[in-house]
Amino acid sequence: MAGAQAGSTRPMGSGLLKQIALFGGGLLVALLLDFTLDKAISDSSIRQLLMMAACNILVALSLNVINGMAGQFSIGHAGFLGLGGYSAAVVSANLHEALGGGEATFGKSFIVVPVSLLVAALLSGIAGLFVGLPSLRLKGDYLAIVTLGFSEIFRLVIATAQIGDKETIAHAWSSAGSPRGFVHAISVMITSLGGQNGYAGPKDAGVPLYAGPFWVVGLAFVLGVVAWRLKFSGWGRALRALREDEIAAAAVGVDPTRYKVTSFVISAVGAGIAGGLMAMNRDGTPIVQPDSYNFQASFDAITMVILGGSGSVTGAAIGGVFVTFTVKAIELLQSTSAVQALKQRFESLDLNALRMIIYAAVLIALMIVRPEGLLGERELFQKKAPSPAKAK
Amino acid sequence: MKLLEALMTGLTQGAMVALVALGYTMVYGVLKLINFAHSEVFMMGAYIGLFAILGLGGAGNPVIAGVAGTVIAMIGSSLIGITVERVAYRPLRGRGKGALTRITPLVTALGVSVLLQNLAQLLFSARFRPYPQLFTGTLHLPVVGGLSTSRAFILVASIVIMVGLELLVQRTWFGKAMRALSTNEEAARLMGIRTSRVIAMTFALGSSLAAIGAVLFCLDQSQAYPTMGVVIGTRAFVAAVLGGIGNIKGAMLGGLLIGVLGEMVKLTDYSGGVDVLVFVVLIVVLLLRPAGLLGTSRVEKV
Amino acid sequence: MRTAHPTRPRRTSADGKPLLSLEDVQVSYGGIKALRGVSLEVRSGEIVAMIGANGAGKTTTLKTVMRLLPLSHGTITYAGEMVSGLGPEELVSRGVSLVPEGRAIFPNLTVRENLEVGAYLHKDAKTMRETIEDVTALFPRLGERMKQEGGTLSGGEQQMLAIGRAMMARPELLLLDEPSLGIAPKLVQQIFAAIRRIAEAGVTILLVEQNTRLALQVSHRAYVLRTGEIALSGSSAELAANQEVQAAYLGG
Repeated sequence: MAGAQAGSTRPMGSGLLKQIALFGGGLLVALLLDFTLDKAISDSSIRQLLMMAACNILVALSLNVINGMAGQFSIGHAGFLGLGGYSAAVVSANLHEALGGGEATFGKSFIVVPVSLLVAALLSGIAGLFVGLPSLRLKGDYLAIVTLGFSEIFRLVIATAQIGDKETIAHAWSSAGSPRGFVHAISVMITSLGGQNGYAGPKDAGVPLYAGPFWVVGLAFVLGVVAWRLKFSGWGRALRALREDEIAAAAVGVDPTRYKVTSFVISAVGAGIAGGLMAMNRDGTPIVQPDSYNFQASFDAITMVILGGSGSVTGAAIGGVFVTFTVKAIELLQSTSAVQALKQRFESLDLNALRMIIYAAVLIALMIVRPEGLLGERELFQKKAPSPAKAK
Repeated sequence: MKLLEALMTGLTQGAMVALVALGYTMVYGVLKLINFAHSEVFMMGAYIGLFAILGLGGAGNPVIAGVAGTVIAMIGSSLIGITVERVAYRPLRGRGKGALTRITPLVTALGVSVLLQNLAQLLFSARFRPYPQLFTGTLHLPVVGGLSTSRAFILVASIVIMVGLELLVQRTWFGKAMRALSTNEEAARLMGIRTSRVIAMTFALGSSLAAIGAVLFCLDQSQAYPTMGVVIGTRAFVAAVLGGIGNIKGAMLGGLLIGVLGEMVKLTDYSGGVDVLVFVVLIVVLLLRPAGLLGTSRVEKV
Repeated sequence: MRTAHPTRPRRTSADGKPLLSLEDVQVSYGGIKALRGVSLEVRSGEIVAMIGANGAGKTTTLKTVMRLLPLSHGTITYAGEMVSGLGPEELVSRGVSLVPEGRAIFPNLTVRENLEVGAYLHKDAKTMRETIEDVTALFPRLGERMKQEGGTLSGGEQQMLAIGRAMMARPELLLLDEPSLGIAPKLVQQIFAAIRRIAEAGVTILLVEQNTRLALQVSHRAYVLRTGEIALSGSSAELAANQEVQAAYLGG
């Protein structure tokens, strides 16, 4: 790998002390936030907004690996988010029960959150491997369609599960000897995820919300640094070379197969963590629903990456924050009395639809005027321009 | 008998899907672009048709309202299709570099799709609107048994239109120009073919077919709603890929297959799984035979 | 063979002015200068050849004349009119046709359909029928394969089809790009015989050909291109006798 000269463009100091200070400082801030945020900001909707922004930074950063850095195009990111969300919800709810239930305390979160996120990341990563494999055969729009296909299959399988009599999973598996019984057991498991109504823990008591600001902000910070490092590492440069000219990159020893598939896996792992954090977010809702992971969610993620600039880490983060705030602003606006009064007169007034129209229009205009996004590949806070991506 | 009935229903559904699939396939042929907005042009066609048919007297005046309403829907959809091409696709043609050349038009296509769908939500509200029923009664056919008049009409109309399209593509100058452009744009220009005009006409033709499909679909389902394009658009797109995208006969075949397949699934325990199956078919086809059933050329590699 | 199109005024070849002239034409692709100021002329009734090594800019010159590539500097005049601002469609309608390198026939269209599309700007049925007769007289093989798809033809037959297709527009000036490339020697003879017949019927020809010997045999005059510039020019007989040309392009 070409990582040996990574130091030349590495934008941060590489001293060990500096790194420890960076991570330690970041985590300390996150820890402080965990205890003070409730008191500092009493309005829970604002807290929710901040936490969502941190989660969306992760969403954008993870999609940026595929769509920005690798130059592939996924329009099914919601599938990975959903897989992460559902796995974290199931694991954390069951673990919570096993730990005796009750209050979701900060102490217990050190068991529940890492385990849940690990499972979420692992399952998403495996899914990423599966979705990434077609990238070896298919490109551009065809690959995009496959990602959408996987994501929609995930959503539809959960959403269209028919909720009948409540048969326990254990009972279904006990008679799963025959192929028919096996299929039945699988469908009982899927059905236990609650279908269209969503999943709220094994006893419908709600998904325990363990992920406070420490976890959400802390992970957003840590993974943000990881994404930055990744971009300027030899791996990142090889990926960029591959994106610009696959044949030339292969000629200098970059193995396209490995890089393409790993970029999918890395992206999926990131999305799994983001989805998991969203599902367990302390200021969120204690339920995960299939409709949160529809095509609009994927489109929002694409918007975040493209607005910020494909390939830019800070750009993706800004895109994530921006989209979160506009969604929230629309929600707040919807509830004002003036808008409510308007709605009385125009039944079709739907501010979310208006938001999507504006997003779509901005995206189209941006693609025509400035296809590389606002920042392009550049980074904020970057002293040196990255070396030209050509691998020649 | 149940199987035969499902087969007839499937063919009817499939014929409508095929009409929409043709638009995907023809645009892919001339532009090598998946026109994600096509499903929304279909939806817009349904609404324009709805308002036109109602305005012309609806079920009280079925022949004139039906025919004129469909023609108005075709004109309206064509205008939308041409505008989409002008505004969102044409400015990008022959521009960009590296990985962006393929991705940029994809983003605008998605953008247009999202824009149109939400525009419909804003203009027409999210509620389901009843469609006037222009046909009543049931035909009793030998072998097949009962078939509603509207379904029989849909099937016959779709087949007539597809035959007409095949003639248009094989026999007319426009058809030859479109086929020439699909295989080699530069060579087509060397023949004096004005490619921009042929592309615009292709969009108009595809959108008109989608509008006919939309009116027929609404006669069958008796309602219109802003997200209707997503469901049918997806099936139609899969049909186009299944048949071999860019291949006109393939789109027709793919449409019929998807329609029949969907009805067959409804006979099983997993009746809710039609769309899951559609996506599974899509992925399997793309991975095993990306050129589709009738396509011969390989999927272009970037 | 009928050449001048009935709807296009026929120009006399004796007016002395060049039919096509390029003046200081420069073209760059992505920062690389492919043409560094090419000036040349082709007079009515002539066969003019362009020779030179691969990458010298021969194909680029033809594509630039057809406006398939954008011009960064210079002017192109055809029949006394500036045509540098026109698109390929307009050039075809004015009587210029290009037979592109690699033939670029439409493989999924039948031979007849390929020829018909060639007459896209002149859809008059009677004229088209006559022109198809002329083309099949020129290339009897095509007449035998009218219903076959273009993609099923051999390389040489495809080249015949490509030339026939270009003739369907009844051009005044025919641009030929590497007509002998990758074709069996026996068919090359037939194709060059046909090119002579086309020229005898009054069509002016600008020929790019990597087979220098053949090119200098068939043409009246020739230009030698080297790295995007005209290195030498003169009558074909002179050039064939030129030592430098012999050493570089005729294998001594």
